[in-house]
Amino acid sequence: MNECARIKRLLSVYVDKEANNADTALVEAHLDKCPDCQKELSQLSRIKGSISKKERKALPPDYLIFRLRDELVSRQYARDRLSLARMGDFSRRLIPVPVAAIVLMTMLIFMSVRQTAGTDSLEDNILNGASVTGEAVLGLVLGTQG
Amino acid sequence: MNEDILYIEQFLNGEEKGFEMLVRKYQDRVLNIVYSLIGMDRESEDIAQEAFLKVYNNLDSFNRRCQFSTWLYRIVVNTAYDFLRRRKHIVSDNGILENSAAPYAGPKNALLAKERDALVQKALGNVPVIYRTAVVLKDIEGLSYIEISQVLRCSIGTVESRIYRARQFLKEELLKLGGLEA
Repeated sequence: MNECARIKRLLSVYVDKEANNADTALVEAHLDKCPDCQKELSQLSRIKGSISKKERKALPPDYLIFRLRDELVSRQYARDRLSLARMGDFSRRLIPVPVAAIVLMTMLIFMSVRQTAGTDSLEDNILNGASVTGEAVLGLVLGTQG
Repeated sequence: MNEDILYIEQFLNGEEKGFEMLVRKYQDRVLNIVYSLIGMDRESEDIAQEAFLKVYNNLDSFNRRCQFSTWLYRIVVNTAYDFLRRRKHIVSDNGILENSAAPYAGPKNALLAKERDALVQKALGNVPVIYRTAVVLKDIEGLSYIEISQVLRCSIGTVESRIYRARQFLKEELLKLGGLEA
């Protein structure tokens, strides 16, 4: 790398005032005798200046805060709706369970009532002195008498 | 304790005001970094908003031994990169042309400054984004090389090299666009 090429790489750091003392001395000594590198420095300074002087955008003080509040509220609302929807899906999946439980309970109650009704009737027959078969008595004992 | 840490403590103790103070303090800096990176007005506001939402949601994981601004700028740059990846284009030339072609009734100097800014923004848009980010953080936000290396998580040598390359690209672009005398 010739000296100019080396200095040109250093000029960008020099123009940012980030060069160390040794590099600064090297650049300045070279610039004293090299018009080409002086021109490069002048261009770099203008490029840097044109970016740093670019007009800055400015928002009204609370503009972004209002936008952020709205966004946070709408995201929270969306999250709540999503969790409700998920809960709804879950509930729908669980619907057969209570239905089956209710059907089973109803069947058990019904069978129990029928059994109790059947037993009462047989007992009534016995109490009334009506004829009762051995099968009916066995059914009463085993709980299969309808 | 510095001001930013105070606001962060306030927010983490349940006072939204702390977060709002951070937004008020940094919103314009964030907006200008984003605008210089992507060159689109409305989208810049959206990206700034998205970056602050990330801050809001992750402030509890911020390491208080670090500078808040460094952490914030890293989030801002990454959010802008995500946007550029999604949109698969760099700076919108159309947007810039629309802006620069808009009728302007101000004084001649202001018009010239506006045209110059439009040229610079157009030239920036043609610099590869990795180099553009380094030069924007340096010349728009005025960060030191050390701070830029912390934001971009790279060495100071890499920062120097990226800024040097960015300026080489800018020089070529501005010479092409007539924004820089040969």
